[in-house]
Amino acid sequence: MTEDRIENLLGQADRTAGPPAPVSVNLSAVRRRAGRSRAVRTVGSGAIAAALLITLGIWAHRSTIPQAAQEQQKIASLEDQVRQLQVTTDAALKLIHEVIEDERKQRRLDELQAQLAGIPDPREEIQKQIDKTAFTLVYQADRLYYELNRTDSAVEAYNHVIMFFPKNRWADVARERLDDIENAKL
Amino acid sequence: MAESVDDERLVEKFHRGDESAFDRIIERYSAEIAVLANRLLGWPGDVEDVTQDTFLAAFLGLKKFRCECSLRTWLFTITINKCRSYRYKRMLRLRRPSQPVEVPSSAPHRAADRTSIDSETFDQVRRAVRALPARYREPVVLMYLQALPTDQVAQVLGINKNTLQVRLNRARKRLKHDLAQLMENDL
Repeated sequence: MTEDRIENLLGQADRTAGPPAPVSVNLSAVRRRAGRSRAVRTVGSGAIAAALLITLGIWAHRSTIPQAAQEQQKIASLEDQVRQLQVTTDAALKLIHEVIEDERKQRRLDELQAQLAGIPDPREEIQKQIDKTAFTLVYQADRLYYELNRTDSAVEAYNHVIMFFPKNRWADVARERLDDIENAKL
Repeated sequence: MAESVDDERLVEKFHRGDESAFDRIIERYSAEIAVLANRLLGWPGDVEDVTQDTFLAAFLGLKKFRCECSLRTWLFTITINKCRSYRYKRMLRLRRPSQPVEVPSSAPHRAADRTSIDSETFDQVRRAVRALPARYREPVVLMYLQALPTDQVAQVLGINKNTLQVRLNRARKRLKHDLAQLMENDL
C-alpha cells in the first residue's frame, strides 16, 4: 500500500463520513463564556488565595500550638525535676542533720564517760577513809602504850578500833597489840 | 498571502480593542476548525463543544498572539490541544480499555451492494485512524486530510520535520498493518 493509496483511502473515508454538524459559534457567546471564564479564574484565584491563606493560618496556628504545648511540657518537666531535686536535697539535708546530731550526742557521751571515768569510786574512798581512821586510832594507841606507858588508855583505843572497824586489818593489829599487852601483864 | 495580511489586520484590530474583529475570525475559520476537530476526534459528527472551546481559548489568548505564525496555524494548534483534552476527558469518563480495530475475518460478500462495501471499507479506515495513538493520528490528519504542508504540520505540532517524518512512517506502517485485509481485497 503506497502513500498515495493511503492518502486516497483516507480522503475517501473522510468524505464518506460527511461534514460535521454545523456549529454555531458567535462572538456574543464566546464573549459570555470568556466573561464567565475570567470570573471563574478571578474567583478561583481568590478562592485559592483565601484557601492558601487559611491553610497557612491554620498551619501557623497549629505550629504555634505545639510549640507552646512543647514549651509548657518542658516547663512542667523542669518543674518536676526541680521538685524531685528539692525532695532529694531535703532528704540529704535531713540525713546530714541526723548524722551531725548523732556525732554531737556521741561526743557528749564521750565527754560524760570521760568525766565519769574521772570520778573516784566512793566505796573505795570510804574504805580508804575507814582504813585511814583505823590506822590513826592504832597509831594513837601505840603512842599511848609504847611512848607514854598509858596502858589503860591504849587498851581502850585498841578496843575502839576492834569495835568500830572489826573487819579491818587494823582491827587485827589492835587484837595482836591487846594480846601482847595481856602477855606482858602475865 | 492576502488572507494572511487580512488575518494580521484582524488581530491588530482586536489588539486595539475592536472585538468585532473576532467575529470575522470566527466566520472565517469556524468551519475549518470544526472539520479539523471532527477528523482529529474520529469523525464523531458533533464537535460544537470543541469548536466553541477552541474559539474561547483563542478569544482569551488573542491579545498575547504576536503573529509569529499564521493565525490559521495558531488556531489549529489550539484545536489540537482542545481535541487532546477532550479525548483525555472522554477516556477518563468512559474508563474503557481501548479495543483493537476490528477487521472482519472474512472478505465482504462479493454479491453485496458495492455501496455497502465501500461504506464498510471506509468505516474500517476511519476506525484504523481512530485507533492510532494521538502522536501518529495528528500528523496523518494534518498531512493527508487537511493537506497542510510539512513545515506547517511540524509547526502546528511543535515538532521538527524529521520527527514528523518518523511519526508519519510509523503511522503508515500501522495503517498498512491494520488495513492489510483491504489491501488484499484491493488486489
